[in-house]
Amino acid sequence: MWENRCKIAISGVGYSKVSRAADVPLAAHALEAVKGAIEDSGLTLEDIDGLSTYPELPATGHAEVDGISVVSVNCMMAMLKLPSLTWHMQVGNNNIGGAVQTAAAALLAGLCKHVVVWRAMHNPKGTYQNLPGAQATGPAQFTGPYGFGGPGQHMAVAYTRYLERNNQSRDKMVTLALTQRKHTQHNPHAFFYGTPLSREDYFNSRMVAYPFCLFDCDIPVQGAVAIVMTTAERARDLKPKPAYLASYGQRLHFEVAGRIGSLANYMEGGASSAKLTWERSGFSPKDVDVAQIYDGFSASVIYGLESYGFCKEGEALDYIQDGRIELDGELPLNTFGGSLGTGRIHGLWHIIEGALQASGRAGSRQVKDANVSFVGASAPIVTGTTFIFTREPY
Amino acid sequence: MSDWSAVTRPVPVPNEWTRPFWDAAKRGSLELQRCQACGHFQHPPYATCTKCVSVDLKFEPVTGGGTIYAYTVMYHTGDKRFAPAVPYASIIVELDAAPGALLAGNLLGAEYTEAKVGRRVEVVFEKLNDEITLPQFRLADAKPAERGA
Repeated sequence: MWENRCKIAISGVGYSKVSRAADVPLAAHALEAVKGAIEDSGLTLEDIDGLSTYPELPATGHAEVDGISVVSVNCMMAMLKLPSLTWHMQVGNNNIGGAVQTAAAALLAGLCKHVVVWRAMHNPKGTYQNLPGAQATGPAQFTGPYGFGGPGQHMAVAYTRYLERNNQSRDKMVTLALTQRKHTQHNPHAFFYGTPLSREDYFNSRMVAYPFCLFDCDIPVQGAVAIVMTTAERARDLKPKPAYLASYGQRLHFEVAGRIGSLANYMEGGASSAKLTWERSGFSPKDVDVAQIYDGFSASVIYGLESYGFCKEGEALDYIQDGRIELDGELPLNTFGGSLGTGRIHGLWHIIEGALQASGRAGSRQVKDANVSFVGASAPIVTGTTFIFTREPY
Repeated sequence: MSDWSAVTRPVPVPNEWTRPFWDAAKRGSLELQRCQACGHFQHPPYATCTKCVSVDLKFEPVTGGGTIYAYTVMYHTGDKRFAPAVPYASIIVELDAAPGALLAGNLLGAEYTEAKVGRRVEVVFEKLNDEITLPQFRLADAKPAERGA
C-alpha cells in the first residue's frame, strides 16, 4: 500500500465554455477554467503557488502557437502573475494525467501548497488530422504514403484486430454511445448537452475509418477545464468537500514509435498502469463504485475495461450491455458523458468527474454511495494513466 | 475497387536508419532490420534492437508472404489527395519471416471488403518516382494480371 494514500485531494474544479469554433484565443478559455477552479475552492490568486499542465495539440499538421492553439505553463504564468508562485511543471509524456501526478508529487514534497492543473484544447480550422504533406518523414514515412493520418486510423486498425480476433461486433458499441449521450444530458458544460442521440443516429452516421463511425469519435472543440489540488489536510478547510487521491499509476509499456496496429500495446499499457493503481490503493476492480474511462475513440473504453481488470479480455462489448454502465448500474461509466459527450478536452475532464463523484458533488448525475471512484485518464497506449479517488481518507 | 491512379501519396523521406529499406524496395526487394546479436527482425527501423538492445543491426532480405494483422477502411476525405480512392483499405501486415514486425500498406487489386484479419497477402512493389518504390500488398491468391494494380 502506498504510504501517501489519500494525502492529496482535488478541491475545486472549473470549466470554460466549450465551442466548436476557435472564435477567441485559447488562452481566454484556459483563464476562464483556471479562475473557475480557484473560485470553486474558495481561494484567491494569492493562494495559488503551483502550476502544471500538458499543453500538446493532438491535431496533426497544425502549428502550436502559445496562447492560440496551446496554453503552456509560461503562458499561464504570464497571464496570472501569481505573487506566491513557488513551483511549476509542464509534462511532455503521459498526457494530462502526468501533469496531475507530478503536481501530487510536488505537494507531497512540500514544494507548493495549492496547485492549479488545466487542460486547454484547440480546434484548428480545416481538417483536424492531416496526412503528412508532400513528404513523409520520421515514423510517418512508413504509414503516411498508405493513407494513415492521425490517431483515429491508428486506433481503428487495432480495433479491427480486436473485433475479428474476439468474434465481436461493432454494433454492440451503440450501447456505449447512447448511454454516454444520455449521461451528457446531466452535464450543462458539455458540448452535446441538449442534443440527444438515437440508435438510428448512430447506425445511420457516416463511417469515418471503419470500424469507427462518426459517433465513435469525440468531436474536436475549443475549451478548457481546470482543477485545484492540495494536501488532504488543507483541502478539508476549503469550501468544497475534497476528493481524496487514493492512488495513481502510469503505463510501463512501450513499443517502437510508429508501430501501429498492435493491440498488445493498449492492453499491456493499461494493465501495467492499473496494477500500480490497485496495489497502491489496496482496492480491486470489484471495489469500484463508479468509473470514468477515456473515450477519445470509443474502443479506448473497451481496452480500458479489459486491461484495467473490470472484465475479461474480449468481453467488454458484452459487459457494457444490459444497463450495467447506467447511472444506477453495476458500474456507472463516463457519468459526465465522456469525451464523446463533452467534446475533445482529453482526460482532465475524466479526472474532474472522478473527483466530483467521490466528493458527492456530481448533481443530478451523482451515483449513489460513490465511495471508490476510478479514472483511466487517457488511452491505455502511450499516454495511459489511472487514478482512484475516494470519499473518505481511508 | 479503389482507384489509386488519381491519388498523390506523400513521398517517404529516408533517413540514416531507414535508407537501406527504401534502397532495397527500389530494387524490388523487401529488406527488414535484423539484430545481428539475437536474430530478431523489427519494423519500423529503430536505433537499437527492441528485444536485446544491441546496436548491431543490419538489413536482410525477407520473403514477402504474410497475413493481415489488422486493417481499417478509410472513408473520411479530409485529405483530398486520397479522396479518389475512398473507401480504401489500409492494412497492417505481419510477415511470415518476421513475426512481430508490422508493415503498413494498402490492399491492392481487391475490393476493400476483402480486407480481413488473418487473410494471406504477398508483397508487390509500387514505384512512386525514380527514388522511391513502396512495398504494397495484394491477396496471395490474386491473379498475376492484377500485380501492382
